[in-house]
Amino acid sequence: MARKWILLFILGVIAVLMAAPLVLTVFTSLKPTTELVNPAWYPPRDMTFEHYLRVWTEGGFSRYFANTLIISAVDAVVMIAIASLAAYAMVFMEFRGKMLLQLLFVLGLMIPVTAVVLPLFQIVRSMGLLNTHLGVILADLALAVSVFVFMFTSYFAGVPKALHEAARIDGATEFQIYRRVVMPIATPAVVTTALLEFLWSWNDLLLRLLIMTREEMRTLSVGLLNFQGTMTRDVTGLSSGTVIMAIPVVLLFLVFQRSFVRGMTAGAVK
Amino acid sequence: MLLDPNSRLAQRLNPILFLLPALSIYVVFAIYPTVSVIEYSFTDWDGISPERSYIGLENYRKMFSDRVFWEAFRNTFVWSGVILVINVGLGLVIAAMLARVWKARLLIQTCIVLPVVISPMAVATIWRWMYQPNGVINQLLDGIGLGALARPWLGDPSVVLYALAFAHSWSTIGLSVIIFLAGLQAVDEDLYEASRVDGATPLQQFRYVTMPALRPVTAVVFILTLTQSFKVFDIVWATTQGGPIRFSEILSTYMYKRGALENDYGYGSAIGVALLVIVSIATIIYLRLQNRKDQ
Repeated sequence: MARKWILLFILGVIAVLMAAPLVLTVFTSLKPTTELVNPAWYPPRDMTFEHYLRVWTEGGFSRYFANTLIISAVDAVVMIAIASLAAYAMVFMEFRGKMLLQLLFVLGLMIPVTAVVLPLFQIVRSMGLLNTHLGVILADLALAVSVFVFMFTSYFAGVPKALHEAARIDGATEFQIYRRVVMPIATPAVVTTALLEFLWSWNDLLLRLLIMTREEMRTLSVGLLNFQGTMTRDVTGLSSGTVIMAIPVVLLFLVFQRSFVRGMTAGAVK
Repeated sequence: MLLDPNSRLAQRLNPILFLLPALSIYVVFAIYPTVSVIEYSFTDWDGISPERSYIGLENYRKMFSDRVFWEAFRNTFVWSGVILVINVGLGLVIAAMLARVWKARLLIQTCIVLPVVISPMAVATIWRWMYQPNGVINQLLDGIGLGALARPWLGDPSVVLYALAFAHSWSTIGLSVIIFLAGLQAVDEDLYEASRVDGATPLQQFRYVTMPALRPVTAVVFILTLTQSFKVFDIVWATTQGGPIRFSEILSTYMYKRGALENDYGYGSAIGVALLVIVSIATIIYLRLQNRKDQ
C-alpha cells in the first residue's frame, strides 16, 4: 500500500513539473508590471488583463487570431471532405491503378514539410497565392491528406460490405451511399480528422513564415515570432500572446481528450 | 439522376470524381514540390532569377565538404539522441508508473499530455523566457542552493543544444507516454500475477515482464521520436536561430538560412534532399514496425 503512495507521489511531482511552464506563463501574463520583480512562481496578487488587451488590440493579435482561425477551420472542414471521398473510392470502388495510388499516398506519409518547403513556396508564389489564406490552406491540405486518407480507409474497411451492396441494389448512387450510409458510421474518424488537422494547422510556423509575409496576413505563430523579435523584453506581452495562442487548442484538448489521444497515436507519423 | 448509377460509365467515372479533389491538391502541393526539391538540388538557382543552369552533383559535392553542414548534421543527431533518451526512456518509466495507479490518473495524464497540443512556437517563447539569465530556471537553482549551476542556458555553447532538446522533449513526451500506456493495457495481467506469486519485486517485474512485452511498442516509439525530432524547425528557429554561432544549428535551420535567406536555393534544396532521405528511411522502418505490431 505504501508503495502505491510513493508511486502516486512521484507521478504527482512529474505532473506538477510538466504543468509548471504553462502555469507560470499564465501567472506572468496576469501580473501588473510592478509584480514582475517577484519570483515567477508567485501568483499574481492584483490580477490584470491589461496585457491581454494590449497585445490583442495594439499588438495585432486580434488579426492574427482571425487569420489563424479562418485557415484552421477551413483546413479541418475541407480535409474531412476530400480525405473521406478519396478513402471511399479506395475502399468501395474498383479501378485500375489502385495499388499505385495507394503507394503514392504512402509517399505522402514520408515527405517532411521541412524538406520541401522551398519549392512549395515557389509554387505558391507562381500561382499568385502568396499572402492569401488559400495558399496556406492548399499547402496544409496537401501535406497532411495522406494521413487522413489512411485514417478513413481503415474506418471504412470496417463497414460491412453487405450494407454497401444492399444500398447499391436499392439504386442508390455512390454519393448517396457515401453520405447516408458510410459517413454516419465514420463519425469518430470525422471528429479525429477535424481535431488533428485543426491542431496542426493552428500550430504550424514554417509554412506560414514563408507564405504570409505581409503584416495583416500573419497567423498567430508568425505574429508571436515577430513580437518576440521586436519586443524581446516585453515579458508580460509575450506571455499573454502565448496564452492567446494556446487557449483554443487547450480547450479543445480538454473537451475532446479521448478523441485527441486516439488521433495523435494514429496520426503520429506526421 | 440522368445517369444510371450502376451503368458502366458511372462506374468508371465515379472513382475519378471521388479522388480528384484530394489527388489534385496532393499532387500539385506535395508530390510536385518533392520532385522539384530534387531537381533544384542539381541547379545553381538563386530562387529569384528566371535563369538556372544544371550543375550536376556540384551542390552535393559542396555539401559533403561543407564544415557547417557536417556540424548541423552532427547537431541533428545529438539533438535526436537526447530526445530519444528522454522520450523513450523516461516516457516508458512514466507510462509504467501511470499504469499502476488509479487515483488521480486522468489528472496526472492530462498534465503530461497537455504540452503536446501547445504550438512549438509557443513552446519556444515559454522556454526562451524560462532559460533567460534571470529566468525561472536560474531563480529556482539559486533558491535550492545550486546557484553555481545557473547560466544563460541558450547563450552557453556547451549546453544550448541540450537545453533546447529538453524543451522539445517537454512538449512531446506526452505522446510517447500515451503510446506506451496503450501498449501496457495489452499486457496480460496474469503474467504480473504469476511473477508476484514467484516473489518478483516490482523492478524485476518491470525488467522481465513489462519490457519484453513492450518491445514492439518501444520500437515504434523509438523510430517515431526519431523521425519527429529530425523534422524540427520551429523551436530552434524561434529561440536561437541556430546560435550562439552555430552551436544549435540543425539541418532544417541551416537549410532555411541558405535556401530562403541567402538565396542559395540549389544548395538549400540539396540539404532538403538530405533531410528527405533520412526522414523517408526512418518512416519506412516506422510503417513496417507499425504493421508488424498490428498483426
